[in-house]
Amino acid sequence: MRHVPLRLLLPALLLVGAFCAAVWVTFDYPGPDRHAADDWVDAARLTGAVNVVSAIYLNVRLLDTLLEVLVFSVAVLGVRFYLRERGHVETVDSIPESHVLRLSSDLLLPVILLLGIQLTAYGHLAPGGGFSGGVAAGTGLLLAAIALGADAVARRFHEGALAHLEWAVLLCALFLAAFPVAFGRPPLSDLLPPGTPGGLASGGSILLYNVLIGVKVFIGTWIMLHHFILHRGEV
Amino acid sequence: MPINGVTISILLFGIALLGLVLRRDLVIKLLALGLVNASTILCLVSLRARPDGAAPILGAPGESVMVDPLPHAMVLSAIVINFAILALSLVFVMLLVERYHTGDSQQIERETSKEEEP
Repeated sequence: MRHVPLRLLLPALLLVGAFCAAVWVTFDYPGPDRHAADDWVDAARLTGAVNVVSAIYLNVRLLDTLLEVLVFSVAVLGVRFYLRERGHVETVDSIPESHVLRLSSDLLLPVILLLGIQLTAYGHLAPGGGFSGGVAAGTGLLLAAIALGADAVARRFHEGALAHLEWAVLLCALFLAAFPVAFGRPPLSDLLPPGTPGGLASGGSILLYNVLIGVKVFIGTWIMLHHFILHRGEV
Repeated sequence: MPINGVTISILLFGIALLGLVLRRDLVIKLLALGLVNASTILCLVSLRARPDGAAPILGAPGESVMVDPLPHAMVLSAIVINFAILALSLVFVMLLVERYHTGDSQQIERETSKEEEP
């Protein structure tokens, strides 16, 4: 914080002051309405999903989620593009391999991947969903990259095919969203029946979207991690 | 002023704003940006939180009054987009550091203005 020029300090204090004043003015907020959730619960009952949050972001506000997935894809594309332009640098020596690390990663990796699949598949029934499941499985691969070395993990995946699969999954999700038009329904509407609430095959298309988003986030996370590792040396 | 999620998030937001403007290291600026995001998420979720509220899952055990699920769905987008922004800006910071051999934003500004002069 030393040598902070006055021309920076003044705008910063003004910014924080204005922010605090704005908050102060709105502070007598009456608190949540007791029945605020009721409309959303009704909407969720129509979709058949038990988890009201996933009923909102994968059915009622599906367009937001699709654009969000698009933003994620653009970020993955940007990371790949700029780091590939940058080229390889000298690699840092990898962490000396320890038996404990290798054994515990061997034990933990299947559990983490299974947990990711479970989070994705039960996203409409319990807390979870495609985003959290995909990130959980992707960070499981980070654990493997730390324990076994990034190259050993990368050899099991074909990087080019993965990148194609990522965009194919995104196209599938967009196609699934536009498909109801073929049946004379508005786009982004749900063609599948709601099913029995609480069953795995309930919630209409929410399960499909969750699986697509889970695969996409899993691949995207791994591609990002792998590029950061490749162009900055070993983890 | 009561101490709850909203007040804590305002405090965090102020700290993060100060860090974003005053610190000169680009990586610390990114960390402050992450803190801005975290405090916004805390603010949005705790605005609709209630002490006796149940998780927004139908038929959850001990269901009394469900909290409003809308902020939860909004916050999900915020988390993903923050992740995307941080990953992409880290790449740009890497490129800048590689070119100017410093993470100091003011020194990078000086270097770029020197490049533009002749």
